This record gives sequence, structure tokens and C-alpha cells, in this order.
Amino acid sequence: MGIPVFPPRFDTDLLKPFYEGLEKGELRMSACSTCGEFHWYPPEILHCHPEAKIDWRTISPEGVIYSFTTVTRSLLPGDHRDEVPFTVILVESDDVPNARIPSIFMAREGQEAECGMRVRLSPVQAGEHILPAFEAID
Amino acid sequence: MKASMVAITGVGETEYVRASQNSLMHMLAEASRKAITDSGLKISDIDGVIGNRNNHSTDDLCFNLGITQQVFTAVTDVAGGTATTGAALQLAQLAIDAGLAKYILIPYGISCSAPGGPYMFHGREPLKGDLEMPVGYYGQPSYFAAMTNRYRYEYGLTDEELASVALTHRAWATLNPDAQKNQPMDYDEYLKSPMISTPLRAADCCLMTDGAGAYIVTSTERARDLPHATVTVAGLGIGTNPWPQSMVLTQNPNLLNLPGRKSAADAYKMADMSPDDLDLAQIYDCFSISAILQSEMLGLCEKGQGAKFYHAGHGMPGGKMPINTSGGHMSGGYVPGINLLIEAVRQLRGDRGTAQVPDAKVCAVAGLGGNSHSTTILTRS
Ligand SMILES: [Zn+2]
Repeated sequence: MGIPVFPPRFDTDLLKPFYEGLEKGELRMSACSTCGEFHWYPPEILHCHPEAKIDWRTISPEGVIYSFTTVTRSLLPGDHRDEVPFTVILVESDDVPNARIPSIFMAREGQEAECGMRVRLSPVQAGEHILPAFEAID
Repeated sequence: MKASMVAITGVGETEYVRASQNSLMHMLAEASRKAITDSGLKISDIDGVIGNRNNHSTDDLCFNLGITQQVFTAVTDVAGGTATTGAALQLAQLAIDAGLAKYILIPYGISCSAPGGPYMFHGREPLKGDLEMPVGYYGQPSYFAAMTNRYRYEYGLTDEELASVALTHRAWATLNPDAQKNQPMDYDEYLKSPMISTPLRAADCCLMTDGAGAYIVTSTERARDLPHATVTVAGLGIGTNPWPQSMVLTQNPNLLNLPGRKSAADAYKMADMSPDDLDLAQIYDCFSISAILQSEMLGLCEKGQGAKFYHAGHGMPGGKMPINTSGGHMSGGYVPGINLLIEAVRQLRGDRGTAQVPDAKVCAVAGLGGNSHSTTILTRS
């Protein structure tokens, strides 16, 4: 299995705290600084409290795979033929159901992702940057 | 929406090819001229134009068509199939009912061969640039592949059942000389199609197309004076969900819950019909999973039975509910929604030669568009 190498674009700084969390081995999610409600993906305006700011809260690094796909032809801009195949999973942390974090599945030998599979955070380095990745919990 | 008094009186298409030498404007103008001619009208008769946010502006289009008279203009603010098969008709009815226009031109085109291809539509989203592209979750095949795997988990889905969507639409395309891919395909051929994003092969995806289509809408009363049999918009419904384009394909609590049940219910109610009244259907098949889900939402079969419905051959030529009779987006050409609507009109006119569904009088068109969905029921009066 490969790893896609395509750094976050960071048009703004909005998502930097998420990646800084991964560097520390933490899973972080955006929440309202006034009421604490999670908002994922982080919005430009928190509709519950428009004057509030986004707080980044550390959440459970364990969760479940909602769905997945193994990419055999990368459609990312540029030539990424050497990076396939890799498996993308949409993970829901145990703390925030229905908020899905697109991540890489770190498969052990012969293992395949499945809907409903329990996983634990295991960030992976892709060149200069870190990616959200998960491995199955035995 | 109240009972409709509008009809589709003219249709036009360019050729559908992998890479055209013509610009998007050229293709939009060619399809528009053909639709106007097919309608028995002249450029100078057109007094309304409805564009789309992803296409050229209506002022540019009018200038290139030589429309110099006063026109009513509007733009559909939804994506793909919902825009071309639902929202544009809804706006046309509003304008015609209000007396703002008599003959409305609705064109739509796509240039998949343009730099960045059809994926950049998603790639421009900052959230996708930060959260999805870095993990390689990029391009519509991967989004719909994840939906397919979830569907398999919830309802069961064999490889043969999945393949039956592509095989059904291809069987129809073999009867359409203008289809982009019209050579026969059986299950063995299907298995040779390269895997893109499991479980979706290239054959499970819509084609990459350059092309455009257009149609003309007028009142049913005026339609009687025009050359073709009148094809009436008998029912129309639009459903939406509360997720923007940047989030709908990951954060919708149930990724399989396209807003198609609401649109179908509204369309059947407006037409005073049920799925039993349909003679055939055109379904927005950006991917096989989309066609499976929408066949269920249209009420052709029960929830979770769409793939089995296809696998039983019901959508095939000679089947009880012919689906995507020009080859759809997977074999005919991908000009989001509009070529499906045009095919519905041709079928109801009885113009489809070897692909004609006998005695076709009622056709549903299901149009997916990101966070929106339309169901339109067309009838031959
Ligand atoms: Zn709040």
C-alpha cells in the first residue's frame, strides 16, 4: 500500500490546529467557544453563536469506520501513480458521532477496511507533512 | 407547485465526444440553435433564457446567438441534474405563468476535457484542499465509491448486481448511434474495465464528455401550434438537504440519503400519478450507485432493492421499466441531466427508432445535483 503525498493547501489558517494536534498524536475537532457544540467541518460562521470563535477540542482517538474506498487511480492534480493503492476511510470518533474525518487506513498484512470496523488514531508522515491515519483495534 | 401548463417543444444536442475542438460557448450555441429550429421557432422568437451558475452567463450566450430582443433571464443555482431537469423547468413555469416570457431557451454544456477536468469543481473548495485532498480523497469516483461500500454494508450488493447498472445502460447505448460508447459489453468485458476506486470501475462511472444540449419551454397552449407532439411537464418536485457542496459527500448523517424521496413525492402528487403510471425512466447516473439509489427513490422498487431491480433485467430493452434509453451518462454521454431530459422528450414523441419504448406516454426524469434532487414527470398529451 502507498501513501498520497499532497500537502494541505491552507488557503487560510483555519485547519492548522487540526494538523498541529496530529503532530502531538491528538485528534482535534472544531467546536463553538460559547456553547461547546462541535461543528465539523469547521464553518466560517458558527450559526449557534455567530459572535463565538472556533475552539479546538481534543476528542477520543478511537472510533469507527463509516465507509471507505481503496483508490487505485489517484485523481489528484499531478502524477501520483507511485502512491497508489491507498485506502481512504471516513472515521467517526466515539466522542462525536456523524462527524467524519477523512483519513488513511494503516493496514496490517492482508487486512482490509470494513464499515463498522473499530480503529485508533495513528498519524502518518507523508513527506514533509503529517496525515490523519488510523489502524484497526484488535 | 401548482399544476403545470408548460411543455417542451424543441430539443437540440451537439455530438458527445471525449475532447471537442469546439469551445463551451460554441457547443452551447450549436445546441441552442438546433433546439430553436426543432421547435419551429426563430432566434427572434426567444424571449427568455435560463442559464446555470456553472455555465456562461446569459448575456454572453445571447450575444453569441444574436438574440438582440428583450429577454427574461435567470440562472439555476443548483448543480448538474437538478438544474437541467428540474430547477430550470420550475423557473420557466414561473416566468411563463407570470407573463414574463413566451418561448424560453434552456441550454447546458460541459467541457470535461478542460484543464483540471470535472474534479476541479470540488478541488476549489478550501475545506477539501485542507482535509480531503491530502488523504487522496479526491474526485467524484472516490466519493461515490464510499457511498457504494456503505450501501453494500447496509443492504448487501454483489459484484454482479453492481455491474448490472453499467450493463443495462450500455445495452441501450448499443441502440443509439450517437452514444459515446455503444459497443456491446457483457460481464466479462465489464470485469476488464480498470478499477478506479473500489468497488467502482471505469465502467461504473459516467463518461468524460464535451458537449451541450438545449431545449425550449412554452405554454401548453402555444405548444399546440408548434410542429411536434406536445410533451407536457406533468409533475415536478425538488428536494434539498442542509449540507453545502463542500460537506454533503462526507457529513450527511446518512450518505445514502439523497433528497430524492421528497422530490419524487412532490412530482407524483403534482402529476396525480404513482410509479405504476410510468412507462420508462431516465435516471441521473453519474455513478452506478447513484442510479441504484434513485431507482429506489422514484419508487420503482423498495429501499435496498435497486441493484437487484437492475440485476433482474427490469431496466433493459424489453424490460418492464426501461431505464436510460439513450445509454445515460455512463454510456451515452455526460452532459449533466440535460441529455437525459432530451431523451425523455424524444421517447415521448415516438422518435427513437430501434430504441423506442412501445407506446411511451409517461417518463420520469430523476436529476441528482450535489445537495439537491429533482423528479420531473413528462407526459405525451
Ligand atoms: Zn454555540
